[in-house]
Amino acid sequence: MMRQCVTAVVSRNEVWSGKAASEPYECGWAGEAIVWLRCLGAVKGKPGAAKARVQISPDGMRWVDEGTKLKFPAKEGAIAHARLTNFGNFLRVVADLPKGASAKILLTLTLKE
Amino acid sequence: MDTLTAMRLANPKLSRFSPMSRIISFDDFDDGFCGYTQLVGNYEHTLDSMLAGYAQHTHPQLSNLANWDSGTHGAFDGNYALKIQTRPKRGAQNVALKRLTFREPGPIRLEFYFTFKPEANELRLSETDVRSIGFLYDLQTGFEKGGTRVMPHVRFLNALDGEHLQKWQTKSRTTAVLPLGTEGKTVTHYHLAPTDWEDLKNGEQKLCYNEIPTKVNWHYVRYDFDLRTMRAISLQCNDRQWDMSGVDPIVMPAMRNLWCMLNICFFAEADTDKRALFYLDSVCLSGEFA
Repeated sequence: MMRQCVTAVVSRNEVWSGKAASEPYECGWAGEAIVWLRCLGAVKGKPGAAKARVQISPDGMRWVDEGTKLKFPAKEGAIAHARLTNFGNFLRVVADLPKGASAKILLTLTLKE
Repeated sequence: MDTLTAMRLANPKLSRFSPMSRIISFDDFDDGFCGYTQLVGNYEHTLDSMLAGYAQHTHPQLSNLANWDSGTHGAFDGNYALKIQTRPKRGAQNVALKRLTFREPGPIRLEFYFTFKPEANELRLSETDVRSIGFLYDLQTGFEKGGTRVMPHVRFLNALDGEHLQKWQTKSRTTAVLPLGTEGKTVTHYHLAPTDWEDLKNGEQKLCYNEIPTKVNWHYVRYDFDLRTMRAISLQCNDRQWDMSGVDPIVMPAMRNLWCMLNICFFAEADTDKRALFYLDSVCLSGEFA
């Protein structure tokens, strides 16, 4: 069988500020993932001072840090990415942006069996 | 029994369906997404021009129905189902669809096995947290003068404002068609607006809904539609059947770029600030043509 590979756009044109989180994404069928976090603009303050964090979950509701961090892309067109394995069944990305900081983002998962 | 029927009944994957003579697509989500993707709204030059109703949509997921208290539930067969998940907000919607075109304007049959649940983040039944699940076709006639775009909508209204209603509804009107951007090439309308749903006559149905929000049972739907007359024929869900010939779909003038369109859409709506989860085990689309 040919390996499945899927691109999932999880957050599109969302303004992230404060404690931001992507919607939970169930993808236990995949053995590897690349998380792409792209800045679409509308940058206010200094979101680049924050790190985005990958989180995993046993049930899609309770989350723990997976350990991977991404520099938050703070300029329109900038992309941060991270390669993941052994993430179980659920993935999301969170960020604690500094007070007054926000940016519009596109969060994409490249998932492969 | 004819040979074709015997062959289909001997195939465990197909024997729980009753397709018309030609199977157009058979999607078992153990095999992947099978062409189902998120419904992205129209836009021009900037994503900001997308209507809010579409901007909320996210990608469908392949789910094994994992639960915090009992582990993986699995699908009707195999491990995976397509999951359409709303955001945790009252009135939130999400839509997944498959985009096809048709080659013969005749009868088609949509069959699927489904279930739904709210996110199980409370230790209570939560049976009124999912507002509705439903499906629609987005169709357009073949290129012709006076052609039409036709969008039959069907939903199972599970609950509204906390009341457990459990009834089937249809829709025959959409919102105004609005131009997008400046190039005169793109328009949009919000056909899944909460307005204009109408009760299907005798459309109440008590679906099996298990005792806690981490147990599900799978249901069967069959929906027959005629692409020649562009009108519905019948609807079946489990043991109930309805004559749909008197139900008007949404009809509007044809758009210049959508000839012979045959899109199949599935959608979910939340009735509380809790994610609604709509699962599809498998979908079979068939037609009556040589």
